Amino acid sequence: MGAVDLGGGRQHGKKGKRKKKRRVGVKLDMTPLVDVAFLLLTFFMLTTTFGLPQVMEINLPPSESKGEITEASLLLLRVTEQGSIYWNFGTDSPRPIAWEELKGFLTERSNANPTMITLIKMDRKSKYASMVRMIDELNLTNVTRFSIAPLLDQDKKIIEEVVATTP
Amino acid sequence: MGRIKKKRVGVSLDMTPLVDVAFLLLTFFMLTTKFKPLEEVEINLPSSHAKYKLPESDVMTITFSPDGKIFLGVDSQQLRAQLFGEQNKLKQSIPVTLEELPSLAQEARSVNPKLRTVIKGDKESMYGPAEDVMNALQKANIARFELVTELSRDE
Repeated sequence: MGAVDLGGGRQHGKKGKRKKKRRVGVKLDMTPLVDVAFLLLTFFMLTTTFGLPQVMEINLPPSESKGEITEASLLLLRVTEQGSIYWNFGTDSPRPIAWEELKGFLTERSNANPTMITLIKMDRKSKYASMVRMIDELNLTNVTRFSIAPLLDQDKKIIEEVVATTP
Repeated sequence: MGRIKKKRVGVSLDMTPLVDVAFLLLTFFMLTTKFKPLEEVEINLPSSHAKYKLPESDVMTITFSPDGKIFLGVDSQQLRAQLFGEQNKLKQSIPVTLEELPSLAQEARSVNPKLRTVIKGDKESMYGPAEDVMNALQKANIARFELVTELSRDE
């Protein structure tokens, strides 16, 4: 009894005189912090672009190299100013082909003749995008042996003749 | 008297995990973001199915815009100062003429032999400037180069 009294008495007695140290619960308002964090997060998420652009590799043969090519295995692809393609082997007369058919055509031809050499002749006024597309089609069909040359006036004349003779 | 007072429930949600994740993502994006360097001209890249990514360093970029202007740029600031002079070292690329291009390209390659040549052309541009650039590169004995494209979306 005495012990209890003592304990209780002490507590009660002290409370009056000494201030009990209150544990202060630190309550911080996190809202602005979180607001700013989310703002920055959205900013970085929207501005980040992960993908680097792709590159397409081209190895042009050195200009002085003169490889021995048989005419029959030389596929000539001429791209005109309007962006249409004419193809021929060797000295055959050129025939038009659509961009959509190019992939199938190239696969077929390169399977038939694996040693085929492709020469792309591009008109200076044709679109750069059509050159990229042409090389892309060649890469897709694993035709890796190709070269690029300018479309000369005589090529233009040949194509004009073809256009004139075909309805 | 007999009615029981409805206790109002204080909804207290523990936001800590949410904030943790938000900060984690924030740090990630802040550390991985590299701001795109300002370009002299805006180029709309043509699309292709090429598989390779543009390397991050040791690249020499030859850009040609639809109006036929040619720009040469290298990624290292030091090399830029050496090639184009101190005053141009902060510029990403500088306009060059077709005549200057072979010698500049050769000079850059002699300083840094690991330099890879990439050609960046606008898809609306004509083939003519591309041909000129390729001829200039052949003059500089650069037979291997890359065309920068965008991954095409269609399949």
